[in-house]
Amino acid sequence: METSLAKQSSTTALDGLIDVSASRTVPEYLADLWRLRNFMAEVPRADLRARNMNTLLGNVWYLVSPLLQVGVYFLVFGEILGVDRGLQNFLGYLTIGVFLFRYSQQCAIAGAKSLTTNEGLIKSIRFPRAVLPISAVTAETLALVPALGVAIVITILTGEAIEARWLLFIPYVALLVMFTMGIAFITARLNETFRDIQNILPIFFRLTFYLSGILYSIDRFTAEPDTPQWVLNVARLFPFNPWYSLITLAKSSILAEVDAPPEIWISAVSWSIVALIGGFLLFKAGESTYGRN
Amino acid sequence: MAGTDLPGTGERPITLSVRDASVVYRPSADTKRSLRDSLLGRAQRSREIHAVEGVSFDLAAGDILGIIGSNGSGKSTLLRAIAGLIPLESGSIYARSIPTLLGVGAVLQPKLSGRRNIIIGGLALGLDKMTLRDRFDDIVRFAGLGEFIDLPMQTYSSGMRARLLFSVSTIVRPELLLVDEALAVGDASFKRRSLKRLRSMAQDAGTVVLVSHKLGEIRGSCNRVIWLEKGEKRMDGEPAAVIEAYKDHWKAQDEAEAEAEQG
Repeated sequence: METSLAKQSSTTALDGLIDVSASRTVPEYLADLWRLRNFMAEVPRADLRARNMNTLLGNVWYLVSPLLQVGVYFLVFGEILGVDRGLQNFLGYLTIGVFLFRYSQQCAIAGAKSLTTNEGLIKSIRFPRAVLPISAVTAETLALVPALGVAIVITILTGEAIEARWLLFIPYVALLVMFTMGIAFITARLNETFRDIQNILPIFFRLTFYLSGILYSIDRFTAEPDTPQWVLNVARLFPFNPWYSLITLAKSSILAEVDAPPEIWISAVSWSIVALIGGFLLFKAGESTYGRN
Repeated sequence: MAGTDLPGTGERPITLSVRDASVVYRPSADTKRSLRDSLLGRAQRSREIHAVEGVSFDLAAGDILGIIGSNGSGKSTLLRAIAGLIPLESGSIYARSIPTLLGVGAVLQPKLSGRRNIIIGGLALGLDKMTLRDRFDDIVRFAGLGEFIDLPMQTYSSGMRARLLFSVSTIVRPELLLVDEALAVGDASFKRRSLKRLRSMAQDAGTVVLVSHKLGEIRGSCNRVIWLEKGEKRMDGEPAAVIEAYKDHWKAQDEAEAEAEQG
């Protein structure tokens, strides 16, 4: 009697038990994430509240600092260097571009740091690690909302007429949020493998910033009669840059003088989907390695 | 179900099944490689540490298992493997639910206050905001933190950290709780309260695995003891018998050493 039962113990006794060392499938992992939705809703809000608490202006710095940046670019590139090339609403063009680009950059950096700053939590509690980059991006996205409100007010003050197409701004920014989430997954994973990434990211984003048409409109340059051939060639590569496509698309919904041709649209949608899914899968593949040192 | 009616576990359903589990550390492969090393394809040293080797046991609801053994015998590694925090080299670990690990080294977020840590820890354990709010005072009272609750956790003593973690981890009443020396740093009154809570959890059909150097603590709370040595199971059974054999082993060891010194 005892031996037959003992034999069973190696097989049927495991009914209903879960393998703790097995890696989770994508649907299981998503279900785990859903279970932690409270974490992802609460922690970013509290993070935001806690930030800048020690400074005089507190959270107002979230708006003041990019606005000062926009002011500097407006003076240097618009008034002094004349890179605006006849854009009517250069200030509005700059504000939306700078705010969205800064958002994307800050998400990538926050994503990279999300696993290292939460090492204690990772080592103590088992939970799907993706909640950490997601929470980091959620905090930045919550901070983006008032910033975009200010950007919209600036474009109205600088003479932009309110149109029905303004509503498209929301889905267009959502595409950028999707793309940025994917980038944050990637930087989080990379930062666990190569700590050097935190030194490379600022340089990468500085370079990308100049290549993404934030300070100038590439269309304005190509429209000029005596444009050199190489500029025309480089301009053809612009739609392949996800930041250029996504931010130009967002601008096109607000600013009358910015167009979003089909290639911009296709690039923006494809990049946001590919980055989000690819980034998530890349992050998940490293799940068991996080916080092991 | 016939399968749950096993010798050693009686009528109670199995909650944790560890089968031939082995954990191997490869220190160099685990450390962060710099970009330079990867680009240069620098070879990694292939040193292996067999931390746990072929350990098997089944636990049922209501069991409190104690794991004893000398430093470096693989106790903590085994516990971390059960918690799913480190992968197995071979074998398998099955559990009724995801185990909760309570370790003395765990600090959550040292720069944040005890209050924030309770909230973050509770949310990471899957509690919702309302439940957390309801139980918040309980958690703080059990941890006995008083006015320290709003100070950063890095200012806490190790005893205070352990109390806070124990309090957070047990408030969700995990079905399977793994305790790694966490009670060792508490004072006598906290130890008494926490052992009481562990026993009441086991009575509520929970399962507890306790790693400790304090043999008295193990004897007082466990109904089964496993003695690990060099990653392998040396003995498994009634607490009194295993602890006795463990003590005898060390006594013999000490005597042999004393003799060697004299001769």
